[in-house]
Parts: sequence; structure tokens; C-alpha cells
Amino acid sequence: MRAPSLYSTVVCLILWLGGCKEPVINEGILPLTEPATTDENGGTWRTIILRSAADITVPEPAALTSDAYQKELAEIKNGLLGVNPENNAAVNYWAVGGVHRWNQIARLLVAKYNTAPLYNAGTNTFTPSEAGNPFANPPYAARLYALLSVAQYDALVVAWKAKYQYNRPSMVRQGINSLIPALDVPSYPSEDAAVAEVSAQMLTFFFPKEADWIKAKATEHKQSRIWAGANVTSDVKAGEQLAAAVAAKVLVWARTDHFDGAGDAGNTWENAIANAPYDVKWTSLEIPARPPMLPLGGMVKTWYDSTAIAKATPGAPPATTSAAFQKALAEVRTIADSRTREQWRIADFWFDGAGTYTPPGHWNLIAEDLIRQDRQNELRAARSYALMNRAMQDAITACWDTKYKFYVPRPSQMDPAIKTVAGIPNFPSYTADHATFAASATTVLGYLFPSESASLNAQAQEATLSQLYGGIHYRFDNEEGARCGTSVGNVAVDWAAADGAK
Amino acid sequence: MRLTLPIAVFLLSFFVNSPTHAQGLVDGFMRGQRKASLAVSYSQESYDSYYTGKTEIRNPNLGTVFTQSLNLYGTYGLGYDLDLIVSAPYVRTEASAGYWQKQEGFQDLSAALRWEAFDYKIGSARLSWLFAVGYSLPLQNYVIDAPVAIGHGSRNLDGRTLLHFKSGAFFLTGQLGYIRRGQVTLDRVVNYYDPDNLNPNSSSTVNVPDVIDAVIRGGVATKHFYIDGWVQQQRPYNKGTDIAPGIPFPTNAIGFTRTGISVYLPLIKKFGLNGGYSTTLNGQNSGKATRLSGGIVIGI
Repeated sequence: MRAPSLYSTVVCLILWLGGCKEPVINEGILPLTEPATTDENGGTWRTIILRSAADITVPEPAALTSDAYQKELAEIKNGLLGVNPENNAAVNYWAVGGVHRWNQIARLLVAKYNTAPLYNAGTNTFTPSEAGNPFANPPYAARLYALLSVAQYDALVVAWKAKYQYNRPSMVRQGINSLIPALDVPSYPSEDAAVAEVSAQMLTFFFPKEADWIKAKATEHKQSRIWAGANVTSDVKAGEQLAAAVAAKVLVWARTDHFDGAGDAGNTWENAIANAPYDVKWTSLEIPARPPMLPLGGMVKTWYDSTAIAKATPGAPPATTSAAFQKALAEVRTIADSRTREQWRIADFWFDGAGTYTPPGHWNLIAEDLIRQDRQNELRAARSYALMNRAMQDAITACWDTKYKFYVPRPSQMDPAIKTVAGIPNFPSYTADHATFAASATTVLGYLFPSESASLNAQAQEATLSQLYGGIHYRFDNEEGARCGTSVGNVAVDWAAADGAK
Repeated sequence: MRLTLPIAVFLLSFFVNSPTHAQGLVDGFMRGQRKASLAVSYSQESYDSYYTGKTEIRNPNLGTVFTQSLNLYGTYGLGYDLDLIVSAPYVRTEASAGYWQKQEGFQDLSAALRWEAFDYKIGSARLSWLFAVGYSLPLQNYVIDAPVAIGHGSRNLDGRTLLHFKSGAFFLTGQLGYIRRGQVTLDRVVNYYDPDNLNPNSSSTVNVPDVIDAVIRGGVATKHFYIDGWVQQQRPYNKGTDIAPGIPFPTNAIGFTRTGISVYLPLIKKFGLNGGYSTTLNGQNSGKATRLSGGIVIGI
């Protein structure tokens, strides 16, 4: 028999090992900061879908001296004494910024719905996706992020105009110490309520099955401002109402932007590919082969000047028989044969494939950090997202237009020995979508955050090269995609330079 | 002979399901003070269907996944009741369909201490109660987040207890263990959908679900040969995820029930040959694999 002390040590160790449950993901804690500027002239900034902020009328609020308002104010003061820990958690969650939070929620939902529908090779049809089960692929996601931030931005311009038109003082100026660092802008209408309502309506349009969940989020968001002592009920109501009016107008755009037809239900791509001006035609590398993603994605209405974007659209790639093509193909093969762990990491880091928030989601994540560092207020944050997301959507529309003009085969179709880091996307190779997204996003972000341009350029370069490292793109795919993305980004920068925000 | 017999069992420990040492790192046979053994073995396993969650599926874009490994395995008796066990495999794995890059390299270095805490005599039979603690860590930064990969990349702490019964040539061993797996860092930021995780801006660091591991093994061990049959069941202890697009492979909740046989034949004094076969009865987020293995054992 052995010493019992050693025995009990071992038993304790086993109990300890068995005693720990762990979460799947760890989250950091986000710092709360007061925005850097109030942007008093925000109501005059150029709107995107609205002709101007004056399109939406915000009713005049009750006077400060009115009984109704004094009652609301008293409720806030009393309410602050009774905030429970759950309310407090909600307050802190939304205090990070409604625009950020709804962008994150959008990315989360994109990741959830970014799953290809089942395909029946026998009938050449996809399992009819139930209404409300969209396939949130990269062009879909780019459009979603753009529409969401456009709606947020227009609603906030309207809110800002009314704020400085009616000048209802912020809570701080009325002697109320809110629980969070709140921006010192007039409190009526509530910018948070506007963002909550407009975001909820936009996301419900994309993901109708999530309506209840989205609505609960929006309700909590609006209520969090009252719990925090940052807005009274009538501020919230007015924000909600103006946002509903803005959302209605943005949804008209969304229903008529030709995206619904991008899936090419009539399979017109089969004819188009036969007539495509390229010597070898793309084929699906999946088993069984399936039709390419969104063959008519190049027909979608653009946000920025469509003539400028048409001009940015790339020309013909080198024919497969040319020395230039053979050199490019050999380069992909060489990299695939001797891929380093670092090249794998870069390809994996930027791939953002099925089940993720997609490459435009990745750039929204990068933008989020920059916007937060810059301590932008809600209005300015929405402007930054809207400028970048519109550029990314327009750039990917140009990219898709090119893909389905030439139907260039993927490297592995030309040389099956080319092995890849991730599943080969089921659409033509030229031009590269990753490069297009990277260049358009960083051109806009570089304008908005000039001190970050060196780091942004480095990220864009890496993202652009990533899918050459991954074995799914030729170098010329990347170079032309990046060139097109940069041109579209510059169109967006021209818009930004003249929208009234400094 | 006393030296080499138990080794056969260890050998098969490492190759089932390339990422980890299945069947546990240890068995019930003690090495003996200042005695050592070294084994080199080869194994190959393949599967053409796998479990997504607990549902068996085939993936035409993956085909058959074929894994080979070469394992170096050593034991040393630190005391009459305390053994040190060390192993290091080199693994190669590839898929027959799709365009997945083949992966190969040194996988994880494992080490364990086994302690025979109690030893009872029941007539001519013996019953011993053992405890073991093991640790393993990746030997290099191999790819972990891909359908074709050689391991999880986590650092693991393994605690287990064994009851070993031997009567004449017959033996029966039961063991129960808990494997705590450490966090791993992915090449990418995680942003998959989880209703409880509202911030997609999390990080690249994820947890690998811990597992509970049980093995029952019985057989005959004589001077001239050794044969056993075993069943192993591994179950995830934490919730974990199921295989799906965008879900990091290391966070999947992995489980399986496998069964197999092992044989060992002594050749000349210090040398012997071993072999084994196993198959998968059911699983969770793992391959429905069958495997064959064989090797040389040297007692020192």
C-alpha cells in the first residue's frame, strides 16, 4: 500500500480537471469613450437616398417647461436610482455605439446565413430556398452592409438636423448624470432610437426569420438610453418615427436595385458562357458541378456614378495560350507546391469563406477599430461605414460583371495539381473579389484615416496576395481586381470630399 | 519477455484518429524499475465517411481521407511503481477528392507518468489500481483549422485512473480519463453565429472541448504471444460545435466509439513485432475510420 497523501493528491487533481466548464469563445471588454466631435452641421450633410434631410419631417417636441416633458425628466431621474444589473449590462453593451453594434449584428447574421443552398444536379436546380433563408454570399453581404449603413447614415442626418433645429438640451445640461459617457448634442430626437429602428427594419428585410430576435435587440437598444439617463421617452419616440420613414425610402431602393435577379433563375449564363470572349471556359470544380454564384451580379444598380464605375471595369485577361498566362499559372503552381506555413496563415486569415461574415464583413471589422480609435460619433461612424460599404458593393458589382464577361477558369481547372488552402469558390477567377474588396475599402479608409494609410496599404497588399498564396487566383486576377477597386474607391472619395462633412 | 509484453499495448495507443492518441496513452502493465523499451511503428487509417454532429455523411468533395503515421514510443521504469512514457508521431494526411492540400509533419509530443498506487493479491490473481498524468504539446505550428489536418494543435493535460486485473495469462483493464485541452489560436478571426456570442469581434483564440475517455481491454498475455481486444469510447465534456461551414475545426465536440484488436509476437530476446486493427462503431465530428498498424519493439 502506498502513502494516502499521494493518492488524495491524484484524486484532487482529477476532480480539478473535471470541474471546469469553458465557453467556446472568449470576449474582450470594450472601453467606453465619449465621441470626439458633435458635428453641429451634420443635418446639412449630403444624404444618399433622401434628397436631403428635409425629406423627412420631425415634429416639434414639447417645450422644456411643459408638464409632459417635466414628467418625463422626473421619470428619468427616478429611474436612474432603480437600474438593475441586467439593465446596466444592456446600457454598457449599447454604449459602445449603436452603429457599431448593429454592424456587428449584421456580420453575425451574415455568418449565420452564409451557407450555399443544396443543389440537385439531376434537375439543375437549387433546393428552393424558403423565403427568409437567403444565401448570404459575398456580393449579398456587400449589398447588405451598404444598405444598412446607408439607412443608418440618412436617418442620422435627419436626426441631426432636427436636433439642432429644436435644440432640446442634452441630459447632462439638465443636471442628469447619465450612466455612460454621452455625446453632448441636443437630445431630441434620440440618435440611438433612430439607429435601432432603421437597422432593425433593414436587417428584418434581409432576414425575415430573425424578425423577433432583431426586434428584441432594437427594443433593448432604445430602452437602454432611458435606463442610462441619456434620453427621455419622447426623444426615443421621435427617433423611432423618423427612422421608420427613412427605412421605407431605403427599402424602395433595395427592392429595385436588380439584385433579386442576380441569381439568374432562367440560367441565361449557359448561353453567355458559350459566347464569352475567352479561349478556355470556366467549369465548376465541385462534385457534382453546380451553376456559378450570382451570374447576373454585375447588373446591380450602383451607388456611385455608374459611368465612372463602368470606366473602372477591367478589360480582357491574357489568353490561356499567351506567355503571360502560362507564367501566371506556373506561379500559382509553384506557390502551391512549396506553400509556407506563413503563406497558409495569410490565405486563411483573409479567405473569409462560407459560414463567415465574408470579406466585406472583415473590412467592416477593420473599419470598426479605426472608427472607434477616432472616437467618431454615431453620425460620423455611419458616414464612414456608408462610404466604405457603398464603395465595396459597387466594386464587387464591377468585379462580378467582369467575371461573367470572360468566364476565366480557376488555376486548379487549368492544372489540377494545384492544391488550395480553402475550398475553391464556385465562380470564375478573373478578377479577384478579395483584391477588389481590399482595394476599394482601403482607398476609402485611407482617405478617412490618413494617419493609418501605411498600415491600411500593408493590409490591402496582404489581402490581395492572400488568394494567390491560397491557390485560387492568378496574380493578374489580383492586380486587375485591385486596380478596379482602387478606381471605385476614388469615386467614393470624391463623394466624401463633397458631402459637407469635414 | 516480461519486458516486452506490455509494450504491444502502448504501441497501438497513438494512431487511431491521427490527431490524438486514442486508446489512451497508458495501459495497465507496469514497466519495472530501470527497465525501458523503445518502439517504432507505422500505421495507416482511412475513412470515406464522417460524422457531422452524430450523423454519418459522405462528402464527394473530400473523398477518402488517408492518414499515415510513424510513431516513436518509449517507456522507462523510474521506480518499481512509477513509469515514464514518451511518444512522438510523424503524420501525413491527404484527401482523395477536392483540391485540399496534403498535410504532414511532426504532431504532438506526449509524456505521461504512471503510478501503481495499490496492488492486491486475490488468490493467485492480482488486481492493481493505477493513476496516470500526461501532458502533450504540438511539436510545430501545423495547420489545425482545415478538413485535412494532422491535429488540433492544443496543449493537453490528461488525468486517468486504471484498474488492472490479471489471473494467469488472462487480463482485463478498465480505465477512465479526463483530457483537458488548452486554447488554440487560429489563423483567422472567429465570427461564426452563436446566439450567445453577440460580438463577432472576438478573437482568433478558441477553446478546444475537453473529453472524457474510457477504455476496456481484455486478452491473453503469455511468454509466446499477446493478444487483446478493446473498446474505447471518447465523449466531449464541453458543449463544443459541430462540423459546419465557417466553424473552426478545433472547437468541434469530438467523440467516438472504436473497437479493435492488438497482437504481439516476441521474436528473439529483446525484439518483437506487433500489429493491430481497429474500426469505428460510431462517432461525433470525427471520421469513421479503420486502421491497421504494425511495428518493432525493442526492450532495453
